[in-house]
Amino acid sequence: MIVEPVHLANFFTVFFSAASVILFGALYALLFAWSRVRGRPRLMAMAYAAYLGLAASVVTLGYAANLFNSGFWTFIVLLMLVGYLFAPHAIWHLCVGTHAEEDEMVKISQPR
Amino acid sequence: MAALGTLSSANLNGGQKLAVKFFTVAIALFGAQVLFGMLAGIQYLKPDFLFGILDFSVNRMLHINALVVWLLFGFIGAVYWILEDESGTPVVGLGLGNLMFWVFTLAVVVVVLVYLLVQTGPGELKSIWLINEGREYIEAPRWADIGIVVCVLIFFYNVAATFMKGRFTGIGGVLVFDLVALAGLYLAGMWYTPNISMDQHWWWWVIHLWVEATWEVLVGCLLAYGLIKTMGVRRKIVETWLYIEVALLFGSGILGLGHHYFWIGTPEYWLAIGGFFSALEPIPLVAMVVHAVFDAGHHKMKSANHPALAWMIAQAFGNFFGAGVWGFMHTLPQINIYTHGTQWTASHGHLAFFGAYATIVIAFIYLAVQKWRGNVWMSGNMAGAWRWKWAMFLLHAGMIGMTMALLIAGYEQSHIERAIGGSTWMAYFEAQAGPWFQQAMTWRMISGWSFAAGFVLLAWDLMTIGKRETRPAQLPAAEAAAA
Repeated sequence: MIVEPVHLANFFTVFFSAASVILFGALYALLFAWSRVRGRPRLMAMAYAAYLGLAASVVTLGYAANLFNSGFWTFIVLLMLVGYLFAPHAIWHLCVGTHAEEDEMVKISQPR
Repeated sequence: MAALGTLSSANLNGGQKLAVKFFTVAIALFGAQVLFGMLAGIQYLKPDFLFGILDFSVNRMLHINALVVWLLFGFIGAVYWILEDESGTPVVGLGLGNLMFWVFTLAVVVVVLVYLLVQTGPGELKSIWLINEGREYIEAPRWADIGIVVCVLIFFYNVAATFMKGRFTGIGGVLVFDLVALAGLYLAGMWYTPNISMDQHWWWWVIHLWVEATWEVLVGCLLAYGLIKTMGVRRKIVETWLYIEVALLFGSGILGLGHHYFWIGTPEYWLAIGGFFSALEPIPLVAMVVHAVFDAGHHKMKSANHPALAWMIAQAFGNFFGAGVWGFMHTLPQINIYTHGTQWTASHGHLAFFGAYATIVIAFIYLAVQKWRGNVWMSGNMAGAWRWKWAMFLLHAGMIGMTMALLIAGYEQSHIERAIGGSTWMAYFEAQAGPWFQQAMTWRMISGWSFAAGFVLLAWDLMTIGKRETRPAQLPAAEAAAA
């Protein structure tokens, strides 16, 4: 396992891009969930814009932290890109599944 | 029956009476943590402050040990708080639990006094048993280690036997299995080996696996119960989410341990394992954020206890930023080689511990106070609500300020001491003398004063909130429907 330490000039880029990965990830997930909860498609477009920010951050991190110099670390970069794209979808399905019975009860209790 | 708004033990069940004792000591130890942290912070700025009276090393040790122990007291209190409610039966072995509380409290007092009275001296077998074991963060002497294990086993017996006698809910089942790990993993920190790499290898089992596995799961259980109580979220939903989060946490958190094994002399494959699983660790945190948004949308933020709910929301975000963002910033080995053990780690540690754990214990203490005062009103238009809001603001402002200041200090340290200076002894001092480091320490101290003021206000609020209220609590939707 070869690990090539970050070059001095890339210090800030690494910290900033790593933080951006998680922040854009959260923003993507939040906007995705909010768009579905409120039924606002415009928010979904913003969610995917946040994902693009995430993808740019992951690639920047990959270059700054020398991750593309090894097959294993390149795989980690791809995993982050794919994992963060589908995670909010999967989590959303779980949310809907776990709340399905509650939604049914709300429908029944509402006056017609 | 005592009047609404009056503190009365008659309002509590047996487990809850014991819980409030644990909460009281937890808040006292929280105060001790803040006090010793402030003293250590001053010593960074004025190294001769209390020189020869209270060493920096002792201050720092007390600051961190107080954190670990007040959170433990808080968690144990929170579990006793929910125990009878969840199991539907009185706590089994409550007398033993009470005995454990007094023994544990007395042991903590003795250990702290010994730390303060014997600050320097030779390290030998006798000092390991009676004064200080020497392992960072878990310095308690060997007699206290054994005492902690006995106390946790009694606690486990109380919890497991109560659920077995009553009913095993989803929360109860996860909790019991988690407590087995909580007690078992502490033993790993008592293992003796003359090889420092092996010693560190086992020591991390306590530090990392307690924090990033067993404590996170424990918090998941408490949060699940808290959401049922404050927002009326249905049990089936929170328990399903608890299982999902436990699976995600265990899937990433256990082998995420690898990021501590990068530089302690363990085999090279830990670089791959640690890097891979550390990249996965933020996923459960993102899942929690999505689910929080979903639930907030569903329940329109209606709550029976506003301060408790506010602290639970703070937990979701604090956990995400402290553990997720601040952790991932320096977790890959390519950068961790420079940041490991600098003030960067302290920055991550401060925000993660406060965000993930302190918040949930404070939320539970608010739940406890509400019931202790006869299930008093703690929703909108509450008398003296400014106190909990300002306490929360000052604590968060102080914590964010300290985190940012330590981040700047850690950045400078990793740059000058590690990357340029090559981690030499001289480079260490050169980094400490740098203007960015020094200014960061000043800002850390200023933020520390804000945090300390927030703590004082919090303690005042916990003692007085609900005192003048005469309205009964607003029931959350699910409880109201059941009633």
